[in-house]
Amino acid sequence: MHIMEGFLPWQWCLIWWVVALPFLVWGFFRLRRVLDTDREALPLLGVTGAFIFILSSLKLPSVFGSCSHPTGTGLSAICFGPAITSVVCLVVLLFQSLFLAHGGLSVLGANIVSMGVVGPVAGYLVYRALRNSRVNVYVTVFLTCALADLFTYLTTSLQLALAYPAPAEGGGVAASFGVFFGIFALTQIPLAIVEGIVLALVFKYIIQLKPEILFRLRIFPEQAIRAARGDA
Amino acid sequence: MMRYRLEVIALLAVLAFIGLFLYTTAAAPDAVFAGSDNVGSSQIAALTGKEMESFTPLIPQWKPPSGEIESALFALQAACGGLVAGYVFGRWKGEANRGRPD
Repeated sequence: MHIMEGFLPWQWCLIWWVVALPFLVWGFFRLRRVLDTDREALPLLGVTGAFIFILSSLKLPSVFGSCSHPTGTGLSAICFGPAITSVVCLVVLLFQSLFLAHGGLSVLGANIVSMGVVGPVAGYLVYRALRNSRVNVYVTVFLTCALADLFTYLTTSLQLALAYPAPAEGGGVAASFGVFFGIFALTQIPLAIVEGIVLALVFKYIIQLKPEILFRLRIFPEQAIRAARGDA
Repeated sequence: MMRYRLEVIALLAVLAFIGLFLYTTAAAPDAVFAGSDNVGSSQIAALTGKEMESFTPLIPQWKPPSGEIESALFALQAACGGLVAGYVFGRWKGEANRGRPD
């Protein structure tokens, strides 16, 4: 989903930085609060951040003869919300910008908005909608993670379509969005499904090994966690 | 079997994913599996009618000198995540085995 350095006009770079910055500031405040008040949540924060590091480093071949990578942001969005997730994504995207030439400093704001803001917010909304429903915990985690991944790539497609619209007679932004959607989002569908299943599996191990942290953070209702553990 | 249902689903999903990849390579032997980032950048060049080389970084950027070094750095990124995840899960597992939190 990286927009490469130099491939976005400076005006758009600025706009996306302005959009990203309030989330990052909010995320730093939320992170500070977790560090100050709930240090027992830190290992869980480490695990959710670690899976963003792991999954976003895997360039996997997909259908349509192209490669892409998962994002791993859904689990962090569920456990700590989209604001803290945006800060974790800042770290990952900064590493990739500085050492891998994937993305870049000028387009970092745009890449944070897609991977660290819109994807996690979309996933978080799905999670909030399903959290208190009768939907199984693992199905909720799967849908949250898969949709967070897909919305990241939808956002990248939209960002590029806005910066590079087709001529008006050729369909403008909508036509351009269709082209970029075909490149980014369609490639991503199988990856998003696998990512959702893998992160649901990770969540199962968290439930089995450390349910008390999930109870304390009220990530899911206690009876839902107990049912998922097989206690109820 | 029910206890490991999610593991079985994950395994089947990974196998299906591998199957799709093998099908794609068989159906389109000339597929190069370029990164979607690069394909997207090529599309920008096509839309604007410019050469790829004319898109220069707005902020100077270091690039890995070779594909192998790039792969090593990606592996390093994954290893950092793996170390943290492995440490935390190992610690939690140890606590669970001892039957008491630290």
